[in-house]
Amino acid sequence: MSITELERVLLPNIEKNETEWLSAYKAQGGYEVARKALGMTCEEMIQIVKDSGLRGRGGAGFPTGMKWSFLNKKDSPRYLCINADESEPGTCKDRPLMEQRPHTLLEGIICSCLALEVQSAYIYIRGEYYKAAKILNKAIEEAYEAGFLGENIFGVQGKKVDIVVHRGGGAYVCGEETALLTSLEGYRGYPKLKPPFPAVAGLYGKPTIINNVETIINIPFILKNGAEWFKKWVHEKTTGLRLYSVSGHVKRPGVYELPPTVTLKQLIFDICGGIRNDHELKWVIPGGSSVPWLLPHQIDVPLSHEGVAAAGSMLGSSAVMVMDHTVCPVWALANLSHFYQHESCGQCTPCREGTAWMFKIVQRIEDGHGTMADLDALYSIAGEGKPGSGMISGKSICALGDAAAWPVGSAIAQFRNEFEEHVRLGYCPYKNKRYWMANGRFVNEQFHPHKHH
Amino acid sequence: MLNILKDETERIERLFEKYPSRRSAMLPLLWMVQEKTGWVSQEAMEEVAEILAVTPAEVYEVVSFYTMFQQRPTGKTHIALCDTLACAICGTHEIAAYLEEKYGIEVKKVTKDGRFSLELVECIGACSMAPALLANEDLHGNLTPESLDQLIASCP
Ligand SMILES: Cc1cc2nc3c(=O)[nH]c(=O)nc-3n(C[C@H](O)[C@H](O)[C@H](O)COP(=O)(O)O)c2cc1C
Ligand code: SF4
Ligand code: FES
Repeated sequence: MSITELERVLLPNIEKNETEWLSAYKAQGGYEVARKALGMTCEEMIQIVKDSGLRGRGGAGFPTGMKWSFLNKKDSPRYLCINADESEPGTCKDRPLMEQRPHTLLEGIICSCLALEVQSAYIYIRGEYYKAAKILNKAIEEAYEAGFLGENIFGVQGKKVDIVVHRGGGAYVCGEETALLTSLEGYRGYPKLKPPFPAVAGLYGKPTIINNVETIINIPFILKNGAEWFKKWVHEKTTGLRLYSVSGHVKRPGVYELPPTVTLKQLIFDICGGIRNDHELKWVIPGGSSVPWLLPHQIDVPLSHEGVAAAGSMLGSSAVMVMDHTVCPVWALANLSHFYQHESCGQCTPCREGTAWMFKIVQRIEDGHGTMADLDALYSIAGEGKPGSGMISGKSICALGDAAAWPVGSAIAQFRNEFEEHVRLGYCPYKNKRYWMANGRFVNEQFHPHKHH
Repeated sequence: MLNILKDETERIERLFEKYPSRRSAMLPLLWMVQEKTGWVSQEAMEEVAEILAVTPAEVYEVVSFYTMFQQRPTGKTHIALCDTLACAICGTHEIAAYLEEKYGIEVKKVTKDGRFSLELVECIGACSMAPALLANEDLHGNLTPESLDQLIASCP
């Protein structure tokens, strides 16, 4: 299979990396769906979204139409927040969407606001995305001037939609929906216990829907082409095309738009050209850094929520990280554990202390100072990579705690012998074998500082 | 008394119009300060506190939570080099070593001439272009020694 044979809708010209400004977008029929949506009822629109089977692209895969139907419409004002925090390691698909198709996103927001009877939307974008934020602001300006945003949009009396871009300040946890809201309110990005759910009490205590960028950008296409069209691409309960961010040791890393029937194996070996330098595949992290790891014999599964779950992992944010045989799993786990202990907001003791312990223990094993008892301790903290197991999962306010524990449990389960080998040898057997420069240049790790010292 | 933000009253008023609560202007104001001065000083935090009618401690609480707000001056070009997994397995450490050996740019330090500072950061959302960095506001991916040389030469 070659990528050129596959249909693309969201990012048909991703290679060109050009921004579609208003005039070009209008020439392609842009904003006609929003105009049409003005003549539809909220119920009609929500029903189409439900029928399409669209599930959130932010990670949890919650059915969007169902989420929308939970919004408490008895209270006002209501808000829509677009989650553009994109900070789950491995994930890099919302950035090209915003940089290349800002007006499609704005049209998606307008349609969603009409369906939800919301007049005010915020795009919460991670601080590192300077360029995307500038592009969105310019596109929003264009849309206001054209009368597509503001009061009486498209000349319809009483219909009002405002969109504000709000930049974060660098904190992974702000991608968690309740943390996003506290951050937007001007505080530290602390998650809140649910319930109450944001659909009842969210931003400023008012009913709020939070959706990922890619979720919302699908809305105009679904309203235009219908639910059946979206279900052309289907595997079990996963519908529509989806963006997969591929990183690591494949020949052609990138962002690929694919149907959920394509397998993880096809993605790696056909679409991305296989492993660089014809190395061996060692393992795959299929859905962003938080999900359990898969070994090469487990990857012949469709890239749907159900397919990846059947293999023992999660589709998550559909960010596929590929490691070849030069990568030490203990070292990689230390890298990820460092991430989570750095990003824990510190509110809950199990997460704050647990992520710090896990990092310290994994790093100790990687450095050759670990003991077999350390392995057992790790296992008891992290559990076996399943919800509710171990000392963190299910015992903290938000899912960051779970996200930190799952990779640890699964790494030990998949590579127990290598963890034990580190303990037995008293050093990392991969040291001196690394040559990771993108162009294949050999650089001996020994000469270089390791980040965690 | 405003100093850093004294010419910005109009922009600040427009900011307040965007949110039902003044407090929401916290991050935008901190960004405004950092854009103007390159970092967020104690003086700046006091000004933001005055504008929002909160205590300076409340502003500090926010500043210290978010990693992108610099609490000391940086180099003219601040390099944020990603060190999370996808980048780390594609050469982050080689890039850091190259910057140090060839240009004397060290992690967590400002170069003596004040031109550069370097920081290792977590994933910057450019994983499929690993290894990647931000040089001030600009994203650079698929880094090689050659592209680093060009980047360094192009910086003031
Ligand atoms: C620690 C953590 C980080 C998250 N980061 C993101 C993120 O960067 N982007 C995102 O869209 N969702 C993220 N989520 C999921 C959101 O909480 C939320 O489920 C999502 O934005 C809902 O949108 P969707 O239904 O359209 O997917 C994160 C969740 C957790 C627990
Ligand atoms: S689980 Fe971790 S990140 Fe989430 S609220 Fe608790 S301490 Fe913060
Ligand atoms: S891991 Fe480096 S940009 Fe994501």
